[in-house]
Amino acid sequence: MVRSVDWLDDFLYRPDEPTPALLEVLDPGPAVAPVPEEEEREYLAFHLAAETYAVPIERVREIVKMPVLTEVPRGGPALLGVMNLRGEVLPVYDVRARLKLIDRVSTVTGPSDVPRSARVVVLRDEQGDAGLLVDAVDDVVRLKVSLIEPAPPGSAESACVEGLSRLGDRLIILLDVERALP
Amino acid sequence: MAPPRAFTEFIAEATEVLDTLGAELLVLDEQRGQEPDPDRLNAVFRAAHSLKGLAGLFGHDRIARLAHVEEDALDALRLGKVPLDDALLDTLIESLDVLQALIAEASQGTVDGPAAEQALALATRFEALAVKDVAPDLDPLDAVGLDSQVRAVLTEYEEHRLRENVKKGVALWTVRAVFSLDDFDTRLASLNAALKPLGEVVSTLPSSRPGEDASIAFDLLFGTGQGEPELRAVLGPFAATLGLLAPAQAKVAVAPRPSAPALAAVKQPRPTAPDPVVPSVVVESSSPSLRSLTQTVRVDIGRLDALMNAVGELLLTRSNIARLAEVARHAGVTPMPGLWGQELMRESRTLERKLDELQKGILEVRMVPLGQVFDKLARLVRRLVRESGKEITFDLSGGDVELDKLIVEELSDPLMHLLRNAIDHGVERPAAREQVNKPRRATVRLKARSQGNHVVLEVADDGAGMDHERIREVAIARGLVTVAQADGFDERELLNLVFLPGFSTRQQVSELSGRGVGLDVVKTNLQRLSGIIDVQTARGRGTTFTLTLPLTLAIIRALVVSVSGRSYAVPLNSVLEIVSVKSSELRTVERREVFSLRGQTLPFLRLSRVFKLPEQPLERHYVVVVGLAQQRVGLAVDALSGQQDVVTKPLSGRLRAVRGIAGATDLGDRQAVLVLDVGALMEELLRPSAAALG
Repeated sequence: MVRSVDWLDDFLYRPDEPTPALLEVLDPGPAVAPVPEEEEREYLAFHLAAETYAVPIERVREIVKMPVLTEVPRGGPALLGVMNLRGEVLPVYDVRARLKLIDRVSTVTGPSDVPRSARVVVLRDEQGDAGLLVDAVDDVVRLKVSLIEPAPPGSAESACVEGLSRLGDRLIILLDVERALP
Repeated sequence: MAPPRAFTEFIAEATEVLDTLGAELLVLDEQRGQEPDPDRLNAVFRAAHSLKGLAGLFGHDRIARLAHVEEDALDALRLGKVPLDDALLDTLIESLDVLQALIAEASQGTVDGPAAEQALALATRFEALAVKDVAPDLDPLDAVGLDSQVRAVLTEYEEHRLRENVKKGVALWTVRAVFSLDDFDTRLASLNAALKPLGEVVSTLPSSRPGEDASIAFDLLFGTGQGEPELRAVLGPFAATLGLLAPAQAKVAVAPRPSAPALAAVKQPRPTAPDPVVPSVVVESSSPSLRSLTQTVRVDIGRLDALMNAVGELLLTRSNIARLAEVARHAGVTPMPGLWGQELMRESRTLERKLDELQKGILEVRMVPLGQVFDKLARLVRRLVRESGKEITFDLSGGDVELDKLIVEELSDPLMHLLRNAIDHGVERPAAREQVNKPRRATVRLKARSQGNHVVLEVADDGAGMDHERIREVAIARGLVTVAQADGFDERELLNLVFLPGFSTRQQVSELSGRGVGLDVVKTNLQRLSGIIDVQTARGRGTTFTLTLPLTLAIIRALVVSVSGRSYAVPLNSVLEIVSVKSSELRTVERREVFSLRGQTLPFLRLSRVFKLPEQPLERHYVVVVGLAQQRVGLAVDALSGQQDVVTKPLSGRLRAVRGIAGATDLGDRQAVLVLDVGALMEELLRPSAAALG
């Protein structure tokens, strides 16, 4: 019986061994004040032109490679066309012109018009799900709610921007999905 | 955010019970003044009872309370404690609308909507009506000398029916029948069915004298005016024994009910004028639409079985194809069997056939009889007629014609509107009719019939008809057409002006149809369903609106065309013909291009210009002549790519506003192809101002 627990000796303090004070183990010390758990939200970050944008992860339904689109006559300048997503017909928008990232209205209609990294982010929306053409999908970032700054006033894109956040040296622009989609 | 399943089920089931209740009450209403069929009263009672139970189970107290007092009143009714008079029948029919409103509010999660007050008022009326203020008659059963043991086991209802039979002076018989335990239920049911035409089966009791082993005996109490020989003839195949319980006698003299005045006090005048107690705007305020609250379809299990079979066979085909694929995979190692190609061909054909079957089956599942909406319309018409003060017979036929559930739902509002119009504007007042030697009673007809792949509905009245002159004047006065334009119109074109927005012939806006909705809305609604509306009128003889609808919207046959390198699908049901037109044959009228087709000049609409696509200079155009109702337009395209069955999917919410596109489809190459909305495109051409707005 006694032998069988011998191997535990490696892990347990022997009675004569000096033990660290209990507090030292549990408390990281007075240097770091106990802060309340900060509320964090997950966002999907992606590139539009040279900037990094993000949308709340729960709004993202899926991410697909650029499909062949069907133009919709009179659909409005931002509407690239509709795509057939497993039998469902969804509109795909390019909001770069709307965000003043490019000057001309884009005429993307298929995979050959975009870089290989381009993706369509399918967003959930009350008005009907819609695809958003992005130049590249970055990653999922966790942003502290308290650190989100309001969008700088007066900028052309502020209408579609919910706020800004910094993660390391990255500036992430939070897109207001409702306003960004026409 | 979807409501819990149980809740959806409650709404579906409650709506169903309410439909049954409505259908039964409608028959009672039609047979007003006759002795009501006891079975029918029972059915109504049961419906109210199930509604009460259902509402109670799901905690919808307001519905349960109303259903409860209604059930009490109906119980008193079926037990003969209160007579089925106009007041009770009217209250019952009104309760349908209130219950409908309560269910509608429940489905929206409202607990204290406007229907609550109406429900309370109605409940009070039911309570007043259900009061047993009839002094017990001299019990005629005492005179019959029925065995007290028998009477003891009868329910109150059965005793009442027995009493009614005695009052009628018919003979009472006991029919003792012995059935084998194996099939007694079906045999008993057929015995009941055989006896039903002769009289009334008052009660079915398990016999006090048991039969032999493995058999069960029943005593049926049966009241009939027929003689013994007829009875024996019917009972022949059942080996039943007959015993006379009480011979037929002269009608039992029943003392006149002393309560007649008391009843009259409760009874309200039949509201020919709007009823002051319960305002008759109940329906308008709470449920302006006749659409059902649920999206469910009741399906015959047989249809589902057929689908299941088709799927089973598809699985079989799939494994066959998998086997053939396996053979092909090893083709490099072992030589391919010679019959491989043939076998694959055969499997592919089976697959095609089975898929067709599956598709047909699914379409069938979506089909529902028009009767579902007809019943609701009949109720509405009854009320409208009463409010209009006119005398109108409503003639309904073709309720068994089946249409896609989606279309049936969308159809209820346009039909309601046309019927309102017929009652309100179409039909003259009785006095006016007599002056022109027509029967006082007018007829409004709603008829459905199937015609190939379409269903044709007619809403007709035998009223005064529409006045072309008057239509012309109004259209000019409202600025819908210019005098010059109107002069060029023939009668048919003039008639079609009534479908323009902002047209209404009646100067005084009536209570019924004066809600700012015109025939243009009816037309738009129908166009959304790829339907066509047409109107014929004959002065003094009446007006008929004819609605032609496709059987289903889900799958349509389409012509695939291409314009500037893009493909579009044109629903074939609006394509009349395809012609080829040389550029040199085009002419312009008021700077709009036209071409001539067998002497008729038709507008020439370049799809590429409509959609602002880069145009290609062509010597020869393919022109798809499309038509809806009386209009014809030639759509110019670059090329035709053939016909195909397509499943149209509506564009998502954000694109619904795009004019000229009905939806999108998948032609098998995974790219979406847009389906043109021919009606909207034509509208645009004929009213360029609207196009500019769109």
